[in-house]
Amino acid sequence: MSATMNPSAADVEMAPGIACQVRDLTVAYHVDGRDLTALRDVALDIHQGKITAIIGESGSGKSTLALALMNAVSKPGRIVRGSVAYRGMGDVIRMRPEQLRRIRGKSISMIFQASQNSMNPLTRVGKQLLDLARSHRMPNPRDVLREAAALATRMSLDADRVLTSYQHQLSGGMRQRVGIIFSLVLKPDILLMDEPTTALDVLSQSSVLEIVRSIQRERQLTTVLITHDMGVVAELADRVVVLYAGRVVEEAPTAELLRHPRHPYTRALIRAIPRLTGDPSQAKALEGQPPALASIPAEGCVFRNRCPHRMDVCETVLPKFAMDADAGMHRFACHYEEARA
Amino acid sequence: MKSLPARLVRRILGGILMILVVASFTFFLIHMIPGNPVEAKLAQLEIAGVQPLQAQHEVQAMYGFLPHQPLDVQYVHYMWQLLHLNLGKSITYAGESVTHLLLQAMPWTVLTVTSGIIVSFVVGILAGVIIAVYRERRISNGLTLFSTFLHGIPQLILALLLAYLFTTIWRIFPYGSPYNAALHPGWNLPFLGSLAFHAILPVAAYAISSYGGWALTMKSSVISVLGDDFILASELRGLTSRIRIGYIARNAILPLFTTLTLSIGFMFGGSVFIEEIFDYRGLGYMLISATGNLDYPLMAGSFLIITTAVITANILADFLYSAIDPRIRVQ
Repeated sequence: MSATMNPSAADVEMAPGIACQVRDLTVAYHVDGRDLTALRDVALDIHQGKITAIIGESGSGKSTLALALMNAVSKPGRIVRGSVAYRGMGDVIRMRPEQLRRIRGKSISMIFQASQNSMNPLTRVGKQLLDLARSHRMPNPRDVLREAAALATRMSLDADRVLTSYQHQLSGGMRQRVGIIFSLVLKPDILLMDEPTTALDVLSQSSVLEIVRSIQRERQLTTVLITHDMGVVAELADRVVVLYAGRVVEEAPTAELLRHPRHPYTRALIRAIPRLTGDPSQAKALEGQPPALASIPAEGCVFRNRCPHRMDVCETVLPKFAMDADAGMHRFACHYEEARA
Repeated sequence: MKSLPARLVRRILGGILMILVVASFTFFLIHMIPGNPVEAKLAQLEIAGVQPLQAQHEVQAMYGFLPHQPLDVQYVHYMWQLLHLNLGKSITYAGESVTHLLLQAMPWTVLTVTSGIIVSFVVGILAGVIIAVYRERRISNGLTLFSTFLHGIPQLILALLLAYLFTTIWRIFPYGSPYNAALHPGWNLPFLGSLAFHAILPVAAYAISSYGGWALTMKSSVISVLGDDFILASELRGLTSRIRIGYIARNAILPLFTTLTLSIGFMFGGSVFIEEIFDYRGLGYMLISATGNLDYPLMAGSFLIITTAVITANILADFLYSAIDPRIRVQ
């Protein structure tokens, strides 16, 4: 927490209540001699102590965004421009490798999509926690083990057994929770979750989400939840950022977004949620496919090919964000909606 | 899970059984080679004027089995003697016991083969890591090409080439004996130094011929481990590069241990050429001279040693593997 309280390290001006500010973030993958843009000019604010969800289909660039938030995009990908500034830490894109390493896992940590396989198969869990503690020069590595045991107990795991186990001795759900222990044990300021429940069955999903929710509330943890699941978003998130083809198309508080979605893509996503009550056929799948990296339109609106309200202007002009400040800073990028408003 | 000693005893018993099976196989294989030295020797003794009965006794003492007996009786006799660790007497080395000959030959081969394996394993693994880590740079491509090239040269050609280059063209290394004959063999420094100096070329022949295989296998193993989720995770958790390299190395070397044991058999095979070229009186040399002279007992004995070495190495590797891979331990 001390890093958050220490303003001297921050060299970026940030509005109050913002923990992380992303500007102009552009990431390209170099494939077969050309650059394919996975994220273009992404700008968003992560609010302090809140859960911000980033939602998008597969191929929308959300996993790339998760990695970019830790400046961990690996070849053939590359951060072309932009900044990812954290309060009290500065811009991770411009950090030296050693400085970056010290922040990763300590101040900013991530729960992976593949948390189940996030441990070294040849070493016991406890030993790996000690490796983590030593890497971040924790004054007393034993304390880290104690904290891990407390977290394990809280997640209804047998702490002694888990800490002395190898990865293969634990079930999928247990491993996922152990992955979460790794992400929380050093008490980070920011928690990034990249599809934390995708690989789990429904029961494990809800228990994992419950645990994350309760710890987030208790520690007022600034959290970024990256997902494709609007149901999870509705349940957990305070704010939602909708990502399509590498661009932010809408951002709003969760309740506002669910009640008054403005972008046609967001509306389609919400319509696609199956209801527990009523006719399941009311859930409508969004037609068409999200564009592949190579076929994202270079100009105009990226969503126009699947949009029911397509207009001539959508072909050539990139829609600018319209902001509805009354509705909790609700912004969206759509020519049709702007014309209607 | 069974206790370690129980597993060890089981594996050793299994190993002994396997050795006996292979010994039977080689017995029949050897006896199918055209030509019959026993009858030739018998005839030779009779021509020299020895009484037929006495000649038979002499031949029996020499070979460990009676000539003219059917093959199955000879086989039972051979196996019975084998169980008493009696490998019979050599034909070419007039009446010397095969066990004695093999024990004399063994250190030369074991010394050079083991050094060769260790050198090539260590150098190959380091090269493999470098190739994998810098796989987008030119040094990696060069090293891959070089390793593939060395991997492709047959051991025989390589040994001849080394001998020709370094003892004939450039007279850097001595040729023709495993140590300076003027020195007194024993635990003294000049002798051991001369031993090591003379061994450089044969060891290099073993090492260079198997280096490429290690480098290429290690390269693909490291690349596959680098793609594993837990390596990305360890990076995103901010583990120090020292700890991360440790994670990568241990996981990547693991699959190479299986190959290591197989390579021991391969190296013994190579000793046939290399000892012939560098004039080492080791097992390979024994085997080739025994084959040339149809010296059945010596041939069978040499094969037996090689078999035993491979099987022992396999058992050892199994236990070593389970010591470093917890996933095997649990089964």
